[in-house]
Amino acid sequence: MLTASDIYHGYDGEPVFENVSLSVTPGEVVAIIGPSGVGKSTLLRLLALFDAPDRGAVEYDGTDVWTVSERRRLELRRRIGMVFQEASLFDASVRRNAEYGLRVRESWTDRLRREFADLVGQRNGTGAEIEALETVGLREKVDQDAASLSGGEAQRVAFARALAYDPDVLLLDEPTSDLDPRNTALIEDAVLKARDREIGVAIATHDMHQAERVADRVAVLLENDIIEVGPTEGVFESPTDDRTRKFIDGELIY
Amino acid sequence: MPLDQATHLALLAEFPFEWNYIRSIVRVSLYVSLVAVTLSTLCSLPVALLIGFKQFRGKALVTSIINTGMGFPSVVVGLVVLFALSNEGPLGSFDLVFTPEAMIISQFVLATPVITGVSLAAVSSVEQNVRDAAYAMGGTRFDVALVTIKEARYGIATALLAGFGRAISEVGSVLIVGGNIAGADGESYTRTLTTAIQLEARQGRFETAMILGAILVVLVLLVNAIVVRLGSDDGGYR
Repeated sequence: MLTASDIYHGYDGEPVFENVSLSVTPGEVVAIIGPSGVGKSTLLRLLALFDAPDRGAVEYDGTDVWTVSERRRLELRRRIGMVFQEASLFDASVRRNAEYGLRVRESWTDRLRREFADLVGQRNGTGAEIEALETVGLREKVDQDAASLSGGEAQRVAFARALAYDPDVLLLDEPTSDLDPRNTALIEDAVLKARDREIGVAIATHDMHQAERVADRVAVLLENDIIEVGPTEGVFESPTDDRTRKFIDGELIY
Repeated sequence: MPLDQATHLALLAEFPFEWNYIRSIVRVSLYVSLVAVTLSTLCSLPVALLIGFKQFRGKALVTSIINTGMGFPSVVVGLVVLFALSNEGPLGSFDLVFTPEAMIISQFVLATPVITGVSLAAVSSVEQNVRDAAYAMGGTRFDVALVTIKEARYGIATALLAGFGRAISEVGSVLIVGGNIAGADGESYTRTLTTAIQLEARQGRFETAMILGAILVVLVLLVNAIVVRLGSDDGGYR
């Protein structure tokens, strides 16, 4: 379980979060909703261990990740997968992209051996990257150049890249905001499959319908804080905070 | 008056234009420039990555020093390296004046700003979100650096070519620190293609100079072709 507790975090003296707490538990999808610029990406980056929060703790199964050694932190970080708003694929083949996470986890001798096998044209992947591509419906594109993919396909490869090394937690930062409905549906389908594999998913989105479709819980990020968190239906049907109601009804204009 | 064959042969024996002579010059040239460019690359790439992605005071100053270094006059570099290597200089105890190693040092000084500057432009153009992706997938800082180099591989190949071109075609500094020495047997010790060309041309042996010039051009073309070929193969990165 990945937890952020009592986070205060700011940029240039301006607070982004005053006192934010959120947990991502296995087999559950939590949607982080809120208007643009409210800090959804910043929160996900803190959860992905990009940066340490100014105050408060990010914990993985009870371990405060910023108090342990860098080596240990790397191990914890490697339990987490992330998909960004942009696909951010490497300029390489689909296979190379999908297997990247597997490669960096190998020993240097294994990596060199793989590089050599690739040079002589002998592929010997573990198959996990193929399975991940299968999940997003792109198995047949495995030998294509990533640059030749459409935007939606690229984002699905990015999803497979984060799924291939079987993370415990998946952080999705507006993964479908640039996509057409079909690719959005494929990504959402993959999210639910990930949940069924007991992966804990946090998805930042400004699409209320998407939150309703995939999320078990919803956290509402507004005015530097998570003002409300609870089961999806409850938050949408009968929010306890008035600002949540206003935001959901689209009355809150930023 | 036509020469008889014996005189002709005797002249040829004296005349340093023979294949051994040329071969040894090519060997010295390639040895010096390839070693210099290899050492430059090993220094330049980490420096380019550091400058490209670390924020620090004086970054603009460092960048402009590198860019100035790209156009630094090679005779001045030769002069400074000569001073440094001479008996009185800080590196005098190594006794390197008029050796191939001295030429490696001066070519290293000339090629490093070129390779660093062009690589810096290449790695700086790698998007931050691609680097973030490498990190988020569990990459260490070293893995992120590797991804950056792979993403910038075409620009870095260009940097190596520019550095190699600068090193092998440069005449001023190798002349000063190397001394353009060839043995009495016609074996080059510190005579490179460029210094040999200027010597042959000055002595009126234009034919030899032209042949050496052609070899130099072909060598540069060949190295270009090899790098471009490797680049299109992508070293198995596809």
